[in-house]
Amino acid sequence: MSGEPVIVTNGLSKDYGSGRGLFGLDLEIREGEIFGFLGPNGAGKSTTLRLLLDLIRPTSGSARILGLDSRQDGLAIRRAVGFLPGDLALYPKLTGRVVLDYLARLRGGVDPRVRDALVERFGVDLDRPIRQLSTGNRQKIGLVQAFMHEPELLILDEPIAGLDPLVQQSFHELLAEVSAERRTVLLSSHALSEVERVTHRLAILRRGRLVIVDSLDNLRQVALQRLEIEFVEPVAADEFRGLPGVKDVSVNGQTLTVGFEGSADPVVKAAAAHDVRAIRPREDDLEDIFLRYYREAPE
Amino acid sequence: MSSPTTWIGLRLRLPSTLSTAVALVAVLAAVGALFPAVGHTIGRLDVPTSVANLLGGADYGTVTGWFRSEIAVIYGPLVIAALAITGAASTTAGEEEDGILALVLAHPVRRAQLIAAKAAAIALVVVIVAAAVWLGLVVGVALAGGGIGLAHMTALAVQLAVFGFAAGALALAVAAGTGSKPLADGVAAAVVVLGWLVNSFAPLVGAIAWLKYLTLFYYYAGNDPLGRGFDPVGLSVLALVTLALTAVALVGIGRRDLRA
Repeated sequence: MSGEPVIVTNGLSKDYGSGRGLFGLDLEIREGEIFGFLGPNGAGKSTTLRLLLDLIRPTSGSARILGLDSRQDGLAIRRAVGFLPGDLALYPKLTGRVVLDYLARLRGGVDPRVRDALVERFGVDLDRPIRQLSTGNRQKIGLVQAFMHEPELLILDEPIAGLDPLVQQSFHELLAEVSAERRTVLLSSHALSEVERVTHRLAILRRGRLVIVDSLDNLRQVALQRLEIEFVEPVAADEFRGLPGVKDVSVNGQTLTVGFEGSADPVVKAAAAHDVRAIRPREDDLEDIFLRYYREAPE
Repeated sequence: MSSPTTWIGLRLRLPSTLSTAVALVAVLAAVGALFPAVGHTIGRLDVPTSVANLLGGADYGTVTGWFRSEIAVIYGPLVIAALAITGAASTTAGEEEDGILALVLAHPVRRAQLIAAKAAAIALVVVIVAAAVWLGLVVGVALAGGGIGLAHMTALAVQLAVFGFAAGALALAVAAGTGSKPLADGVAAAVVVLGWLVNSFAPLVGAIAWLKYLTLFYYYAGNDPLGRGFDPVGLSVLALVTLALTAVALVGIGRRDLRA
């Protein structure tokens, strides 16, 4: 991705006290990117999104969205942004149709063809009161309202919460189409598989601080190598723990899984001292990467 | 002002508003129908001054006194204040606590603009209820055999509406400034109820009689709209209080973080 910067933050901070909040966030997200924002609960993801939309004000630092200042130009920014909050709440007594009409009118109107296409795509029930809808069906209405004005930038907080796999698939296809149109998506999630599947780059937040920003490919290059070794008889994990380069070892019955850096030679030689039934390589997945960054991040 | 927001705010409150309005008309009709049977008997009762003050003064044997004690000093202001206060608090701080406001304010609408639109919706609720009181009075007074002019009934409804605006604006100011619905409900309800009590009892004690001037209630009913008609001074004070508190709300919502 080499487009113009769409979101730029400089030292963006929100201090809630007691170490909670967001601290010194420097970030640049470019046009057409699907950017993942990853971190455990309380890491500062939602705080960042709310700062970008001027729902809360920074303690220090600044953010520019689409070239505009988040504090001074909030109205123009919100005109160009589609937002899906985490824990989406809608008027429970009203139907989805009335809620979408209201939100569309707040935007001065939307193209009904775009809205209807989204409704059809996600299979949204517009005629029942919101309080009668399941979490997933409410979330679909949230997605429609975020996309229905074809915004230049989408800010989505935990977008697949409650969605069934088919709708998730539809949503991922929509994200790809949006990116192909050079529109930008900032997607926050703690569902690692979701970020892995759709994002070009991602940032990992931990306790309000940015741990790393990189592409998935680069992150995978620093991943541990893993081998799954199945023995005829159970072996002791301690036998492998002290080997050069070995970072973690786990044993489940006769199967030992070992993660290591550098050469596989010490592991293979240690395994050869036993009767080996099979050796299978295992790719380090994003969850492993994420957990390692989470654990290793300096205090 | 954002008219879609006013419309949706009114739509959300229309069922409770209309049912209240219908109930008020029915109660006032029943009160009027009752007067020919019991009015003269009640008029001869020797009521202690403190109780008489709570009921808006003596004179229950007249149609004016009868309706003053029933609607003007108790049901009318308390019902209209309750609707205005709960409406203003729930449409602002309530929606904020529920998380709805975060979605709405992610749209291209200014915070002050949104609050003004919500205030307009609550004002319409108050107007509907005040209109119901007026209609109920017209019907009730007719059933009671007459005795209050249309101008004085209109004066009561108008004074009541502006009193409702002020009570709602107080809740709006606290709700917009803090984002706390319980606080907004509590503060505004306390001010109204204390005002009613102070206005009723303070005049009995010379040293604190002046306290009545600090209550919204005095500027609503102090001049007895059913008996004397419009009170331009009272209306002006209530209108100014409403405008000032609404201004506080518009500024307050813009100066703070939205609650999660």
